[in-house]
Amino acid sequence: MNSAPHVLVIDDEPQILRALRTILAEHKFRVTTASTGEEGLALAAAQPPDVVILDLGLPRMSGLEVCAQLREWTQVPVIVLSAHDTEHDKVRALDKGADDYLTKPFGIDELLARIRVALRHSAQAQGSPEPVVTAGNLRIDLARHLVTRGEATVKLTATEFKLLAHLAANEGRVLTHQTILARVWGPEYADHTEYLRVYMRQLRKKLEDDPDQPRYLLTEPGIGYRFVAEA
Amino acid sequence: MQRLRSLFTQNTLLPYGLAVIIVALTTLVLFGLRESLSTPVIALLYLLPVVVSATLWGRGAAVTAAVCAFFAFNYFFILPLYTLSVHQPQDLFALIVFLVVAIVISQSVSWARAGMEAASAREREATHLYEFATALVGLRSLQPIMRAIAEKTLETFRAECVEVEIADEPTPLRLPGPHPGRRPNYVEVLLAARDRQGEIRLWRAAPFTSAEERLLRTFASQGALALGRAHLALAETRAKVLEESDRLKSALLSSVSHELRTPLATIKASATSLRSETVDWNAEARRELLAAIEEETDHLNRLVGNLLDMSRIEAGALHLQRRWNALDEIVAGVWGRLRPRARQHRIELDLPDDLPLLPLDYVLMEQVFTNLISNGLKYAPPETAIHVSARAQADGYVRVQVRNQGPHVPEEHLERIFDKFYRVTAADRVTGTGLGLSICKGIVEAHGGRIWAENLPDGFAFNFTLPQQWEGLAPPRPPVELEGA
Repeated sequence: MNSAPHVLVIDDEPQILRALRTILAEHKFRVTTASTGEEGLALAAAQPPDVVILDLGLPRMSGLEVCAQLREWTQVPVIVLSAHDTEHDKVRALDKGADDYLTKPFGIDELLARIRVALRHSAQAQGSPEPVVTAGNLRIDLARHLVTRGEATVKLTATEFKLLAHLAANEGRVLTHQTILARVWGPEYADHTEYLRVYMRQLRKKLEDDPDQPRYLLTEPGIGYRFVAEA
Repeated sequence: MQRLRSLFTQNTLLPYGLAVIIVALTTLVLFGLRESLSTPVIALLYLLPVVVSATLWGRGAAVTAAVCAFFAFNYFFILPLYTLSVHQPQDLFALIVFLVVAIVISQSVSWARAGMEAASAREREATHLYEFATALVGLRSLQPIMRAIAEKTLETFRAECVEVEIADEPTPLRLPGPHPGRRPNYVEVLLAARDRQGEIRLWRAAPFTSAEERLLRTFASQGALALGRAHLALAETRAKVLEESDRLKSALLSSVSHELRTPLATIKASATSLRSETVDWNAEARRELLAAIEEETDHLNRLVGNLLDMSRIEAGALHLQRRWNALDEIVAGVWGRLRPRARQHRIELDLPDDLPLLPLDYVLMEQVFTNLISNGLKYAPPETAIHVSARAQADGYVRVQVRNQGPHVPEEHLERIFDKFYRVTAADRVTGTGLGLSICKGIVEAHGGRIWAENLPDGFAFNFTLPQQWEGLAPPRPPVELEGA
């Protein structure tokens, strides 16, 4: 089937390649695998993939380097895989243009969800963005600056709306603190996570049923935030 | 008095001069009173300057005084006056007796004086030595010993400058201040058991008496002994640390291999069962086995995470990624993640809205709450609550409490539960590597806080503090906008 999305997996662990090849093929993806960064880059050039799954801990050419080289010529979504406790590397990869990340070991549902989001966003990038994002009983109209929760209109401040709009436009995708701060408050605020902490708390109070156990506005520890539409 | 005495000891001729002067003065007075005094009384009174000289200035001065008095007595008071000749045999006899008595008195008085001086010198020496030894008592490391040697030497010998250099310290210690810029007047080697430990160098213009030289030598040997002891103590500590880390490593290996094998056994058993073609598993049984595999994998992952954290804390390689963070967000996130395996417990959060943002490493602080809450889940009876509260304190810290209704921990274990591999309960009753709490301690301390446990009337609590300031900055309070702005 030629219309099946093409996933390129770059990882030096044969067992991971073996498992992902089997599982992703079973979920109707076309899978190619590479065990080094150089091989991965060559494969990506020869048969452009729809999604790249990239391990950060590759030998010789690191995952970060592969990501940077990919970004020189393609906007293909890149999902990076990394071991526990390397938040710093994940943030760097995301800053270098990766679209999302997963921490090993991960559940296959999570991986499939990330792939779906990545495919959707790369499709949207070619067309025009969705003007309305819905999540449960939330409806966010990005064009008209209107947020409703069930029947009621939610009153948001200008900054709260800007923040929510940025997260919702990237629905399903992780956004780093720095990216959000630079986008919503301006580049000179990129290190002021305190703004984000305070405004996220306010948004959760206004939008979440239980602000302590948010369904839509999720914290990605040490990385940033993610807006999720389907709980 | 001090200056006078040092003048006397320094100028050796001065005592004789003074003896002559005091005899001359006595003569002047006696000459004035010669009408009312008989010769024997004059002779007796002439003994006074002799005794005074002997007491104050020693034997030489006393003999000088005796001889001068003998001649003055003869010249001014014995007939014929103003000559040194004597007519009366009895006067000659009196003069000779006077001379003998004067010399004997001067001898015995100066002997007594020398004895007293020696005694008080010995006493001073003993006091100095005692003070020196006291200063060194209990010191087990090199630098404090160096300092004690230098301070006491400076004080005892009233030196301009003292420098102590020892073999194992790169920089010598100099008191009270800068180098006098010339060669030291005295150098004493710190020698213990034929090992040269270092040197004391001393700058002082005044020469050393032999007693002072002896005292300095004693200081040096005492100091060297103390340094030797410190070296031994250091070697002993190193050996102990090595032994301890060996013991920890084997404890780690045995604990870890046991802990890792348990989930692996479950995974292996479940996976092989599912693969087996001889059994036709029903849907319920398949789900059960698969759930077991998934849960045990997570468990294994947490174990490995704990081990990594521990090794990083141990290696001092814990690099905090500090940011201003909200405690409630961290706790809520942890609880959200623990909930699936905590269905038998409730959580109660008591985190005031106005709690300041804190300079925390988000991921590590999550680890602290995960471990403390997990500990509660393990020990607290089902259907009870785990209570997390935090309060800003006036001392610049926020105090956090994670409380459960679990059993008490005996008081004598309360501190040790934060030690690695320390388990109050028998290892076969509750699983765990015994690393969780020591990781919490490592992380909280890396943040500049303190952690402790306490028994409460209705349960058990972990408490810890976290500083509110970060590099001197108070927690920020970003401006809040008004709606519709």
